This record gives sequence, structure tokens and C-alpha cells, in this order.
Amino acid sequence: MVILLELMAVPTILLLCAWLCKPTRILTKLSALLLWVQVAVVAIVVHPALLTNALPLVILPEITVERLDAMFAILTQVVVASSLTHAHVFFAHDDAHEPENHNKLRLFYTCATLFAIAMTSVFFCKNLGLIWISVEATTLCSAPLIYFHRNKHALEAAWKYLMICSVGIAFALLGTMFIFASSQYGAVAGGSLNLDQLTQSAPRLQYPLLRLGFLFCLLGYGTKAGIFPLHSWLPDAHSEAPAPASAMLSGGLLNCALFAIWRVSRLVTDSGHQQLVQNADLTMGVITVVAASLLLVRQHGIKRLFAYSSIENVGLMLAAIGVGSGSLFLFLAINHSAAKVALFLISGNVIQAVGTKSLHDIHGLLTVSPSWALVLLLGGFAVTGAPPFGAFAAEWQLLANISQLHLWPALVALLFALAISFLAVSVHVGRILCGTPKQMVTAFSPVYSSAIPVGLIIITLFAGLTAVHKFLW
Amino acid sequence: MNLPLAQIPLLLIALVAILMVGSTHLRLNIWLFSAQALLVTMATALSAVQHSDSHLYIIAALLFVLKVLAVPKFFMYIIEKVEVQRDTGTVVRAPVAMLLSIAFLWLSYILARQLPVPSGDTIGWPGATAAISLLCTGLLLMLTRRIALSQIIGFLVMENGIYIFGLTQTNGMPMFIEMGILLDVLAGVMLAGLIAFRIKKNFEHIDVTMLTELKENL
Repeated sequence: MVILLELMAVPTILLLCAWLCKPTRILTKLSALLLWVQVAVVAIVVHPALLTNALPLVILPEITVERLDAMFAILTQVVVASSLTHAHVFFAHDDAHEPENHNKLRLFYTCATLFAIAMTSVFFCKNLGLIWISVEATTLCSAPLIYFHRNKHALEAAWKYLMICSVGIAFALLGTMFIFASSQYGAVAGGSLNLDQLTQSAPRLQYPLLRLGFLFCLLGYGTKAGIFPLHSWLPDAHSEAPAPASAMLSGGLLNCALFAIWRVSRLVTDSGHQQLVQNADLTMGVITVVAASLLLVRQHGIKRLFAYSSIENVGLMLAAIGVGSGSLFLFLAINHSAAKVALFLISGNVIQAVGTKSLHDIHGLLTVSPSWALVLLLGGFAVTGAPPFGAFAAEWQLLANISQLHLWPALVALLFALAISFLAVSVHVGRILCGTPKQMVTAFSPVYSSAIPVGLIIITLFAGLTAVHKFLW
Repeated sequence: MNLPLAQIPLLLIALVAILMVGSTHLRLNIWLFSAQALLVTMATALSAVQHSDSHLYIIAALLFVLKVLAVPKFFMYIIEKVEVQRDTGTVVRAPVAMLLSIAFLWLSYILARQLPVPSGDTIGWPGATAAISLLCTGLLLMLTRRIALSQIIGFLVMENGIYIFGLTQTNGMPMFIEMGILLDVLAGVMLAGLIAFRIKKNFEHIDVTMLTELKENL
């Protein structure tokens, strides 16, 4: 209970600030500061769970923290803090043009804070019902973020997001009920959604119902994560949301949805049907990676490009879940979140400076702002898994795991798709950097505005350099 | 077939859903949704009597207040504000969709019979049939309608189906989960309703099939 109070203290202050601070100039600065305080608070509170052989940290009866949960929670807090710190720069630019958007900003900060709470609770809940409620809450809190610009495109994206994800999540609810039903015949008296109880009695779960439940959960949470045939909301939402919101969606929300899939997959693995998890998750993952890499080739919007790259990375993470490796899933997620948040934040700056999202009109960034160009270049390499970055080590390990399982078709498809996506992103980013710029206004100091993205790129570079050592030698 | 009394509302729910697919008047659809929610409440109450389960009474009361009264009231308010009467539907016209949904009901019956539910003390199939057919019918409503509001109603029909599944095929989900789900769904409906207002304000219509500006090749 005390831990819950500690975790909720800073968000409560933030919500109060968003409600009370009429002039948003103070609000944006204050929340940037408070969010980094929150990162520290979360890290300190959950650090006992990070130690090896630690017992789960109990917050409330069905809300506990284990190692992987703690790592994901810290990652998500860092993503939110980075995005909203950068939002100070981003909205300062908007502010100059539209004087009357204070209420919009206050709503944005309120929803972002609630969004962060909902995302964190996905990781801590040990009850499938609570996980479902949290995931649905993330949808509701993030829809207003997408609708920030209040124009027709934002409206269309928000509507699609809300409808497609709600229907998807409804299927996940059905899946949750199937799992509940599978537990009530002999496994747990009266049935249960508590993951600890379910895991303990996993071999006694009714398999046909459990399988249906797993598949519906994969379909439902997969819609939220943007796996291939169900991804249509993702590029629209990421492209129309303001850059800090796109960064939070890509770096935070997708991990949450995948984490829900991870929980259900673990349960099925524990019940002794590892083959089902491997077939379903790995196949869906590989299909998603291949489809996303092909779609990456013909892109016309800078944020849509990075959104498709997110879909590709979701496919990789899903494949890692299919292989059954939690640490690999985490490592992919850390690298993807760090690099992709950096890319979305910088592309937000670029869009503001050039005044268009279209890749046809953004050229010559290298001459206009070398620091942004550098971040885009390194970020582009980092998300596609070029050598010194963390994603390279993670993808290497994923391919090694898949070849150990002798799944050659999947291995070949992944290699092919990774090569295509690397080329596609490199060519698109290259076109942005080179050429002659059309009139580009540098409205704010580039050095200051690329501080957070540079920091995130360094994180993934560091992860890559330390992990190469661990994985390859 | 002599069905127990408790199963009759379940089958009526599925029939009401078919009527909803067949009607293009928004006002009538909202009334039908309200009626469906009332039947869901009755099914919950009957189940509460049958299992003498006190927390099901609370759920039934909440369902009555929220789904039978509040949500239809909110929808009526929206259609008065945005001034739409009918939803003519997309390529698939209402009569065709209605025939399709009848086919879905029959399919659901077959599926429900095959569902791997070990038979307990009650007959399982009416609940499962209603649940699966509501899911399909809700999806059909969402796919074949133009007006934003009809899509929200379609989503709620789907959600009713899932609720019916939970009610009849399980021993009852834990109450706080049930309430959390209800809260989330209602918040979603409110939000979707507000966005529907905005669509009307920005586009001068609430025809969501015309929301096609975001495409791959801008």
C-alpha cells in the first residue's frame, strides 16, 4: 500500500498541476522536471525486484513486481519523461503561432499522465482481467493525445484508432473469458484470472479452451500492437498525433500490448503447449516483419515511415516472445523504444521547421541542421539494426535462437525482410539528409532541441556495445 | 426442447440483434439496443436467483442504470444534436445484412454445440449461441453502417455478446473485474460519442465511410 502511494505521488501532483496551472509555460517545464523525478521514484521503488533471485515485490494482492515487469516499467517511464521533456521544446514552437491553445495543452498533459499510469499498471498487474482493463484504459487515455491538433486528419486518425483498437480489445476480453473458463474445471476451484494461481495449476487447465483464449488474446492485443493484417490504425495515429504523443505510442504503448501477449504466452507455455505459442507468435511475428519491410519501401510521409518501422520491430518482438525468451523481448524493446522515440521527436522538429510531413519536400537537412541530421542518421541505423547499436545484437540473438530451433523458412524470411527494411529506411533517410533544402525555417535552436534524442541514441549505442560483448563472445 | 426459463432471454437477445441489423432508423435502433440491454439485465438477474449470488444482483442493477437507461439517453441526445434520422448502410443493404445475421445465428448454434465446454448442471448452448451470434452481428453492424453512432452501437452489441459469454459459460468473473470492464466500455462509448460530435462539426456529416483522407499515397 505504501509502495502504491509512493508510485502515485508524482502523477497526482502532475494531474493537479495540469488542472491548476493556467499558464502552460510553467506547466511544460514543471512536468518535464517532475517526470524525471518519477523515473527516479519508480527506479528506486522497484529496484529490489531487479536483484537476482529476488522475491516479487508486492504492491497490492494482485499487483506485484518481478524483474521483467520492473525493467519494462522503468523503460516506459523513461520514454514518457523523454517525450514530455521534449514536448516543452515542441509546444513552445506551436505556442508562438496559436496563442489560445492553453486548454489543449492542459488536456494533453492530463491525458499523458493518465496514459503513463495505465501503461505502468499493465506491467504490474498479475491478473488477466486487470491487464485487460489497463490496456483498454491506455486506448482511452491516448485517443485525446492523437486528436491534439483538432483538424480533420487528426479526427479521422483518432476515430480509427478508437474503433479498431476497441474491437480488437473486445476480442482480447473474449480470450480472457475463455482462459477463465479453462481454469474452472478442476484447475482452480471456481476459476481464476490470477496469473500466479493459473501458472501453478497450468497443466490442469482445459487445453481446448486455453487454446481458444490464447488465440483470441493474440488477435486482440495484437491489434493494439499493430501486427500485420490488423495494423491499419497505427500509421495514421502515429502520423497525425503530435510528435511527443507519437513517441509515447511507439515507445510505450506497443510494448504494453506485446507485454500482455507475453503474459498469455507464458501461461500457455507453462501448461505444456510450447508448440502452440511458438507456431502462433513466431509465425505472426515473421509475417509482420516481412509485410512491414515491404510496405517501408514506398512511403511518402516521414512519420508514416517510422510508424511502419515500428510495425517491423513489433514483429521482431513478437517473434522473440514466440521463441520464449523474455530477456530478448526486453532487449529488443529497450533498443526500439530508445531509438524510435528519438526519431519521432526529431521528425516532429523537422516537420515544424519545414512545414510538411511529405518526404518529397524534406531535403538537405544536413546543411540546415547538422545535429538533427546526425540524430536522424544514427536513429535510422539504430532502428534497422545496424552493427554498433543494440538492435543489431538483439536481432543477431533472435536469429541465433530461431536457427537453434531449426526453423529455416522463418530464418530466411527474417533475413530477407531485415535487409529490405534496412535499405528502405537508409534510402529514405538519405534523401532527407542530402539534396538542396527548400525554404527551411530554423525556428528554435537545434542544439537544445536535440538534447533528449541524442541521449536516447547514446542509450541504445551503449546497450549495443555492452551486449555485443555478451552475445558474441 | 424444453428450455429452462433462464435461457429464454438469451435467445431473445440474439433475435433483437437481428432486428437491429434490419432497421435503418437510428431512433428505433437505440430503442432496440435498450431492449437488448434490458434482456441482458434480466438474464443476469435470473442467473443471480438461480445461483443465489449476491454480487450478480449488483451487476444487474448497474447494467440496468447504465446500459438500459444512461447509454440510450446519451445516444438520443447525440442524434438530436447532429440531426440524423436514418443510416442507409453501405454496399450491403439492411435486408441482406439481416439475412446474413440469421445465417450467423444458425452458424453460432452449430459452433456453440461444438464448443469444448464440459456440460455442467445447466444447458450451455443457448448462452454460447447468443454470445457468438451477438459478436458476429455486432461486427456486421460495424462493417455495414455509415453513421458513426451505428458503429458505436455495433461495438456495444459485440460487448453484450462477450458479457453473455462470461455470464453463461463461466462461474461468474470476479466482481471488481466485471465492474472495471463496464467502466472502461462506458468511458469508451462516451469518448466515441464526443468524437462523433466533432466529426459532425468538422466534416458536416457523420458518415465514417467518407473518412478516407489518410491513405498510403498522400
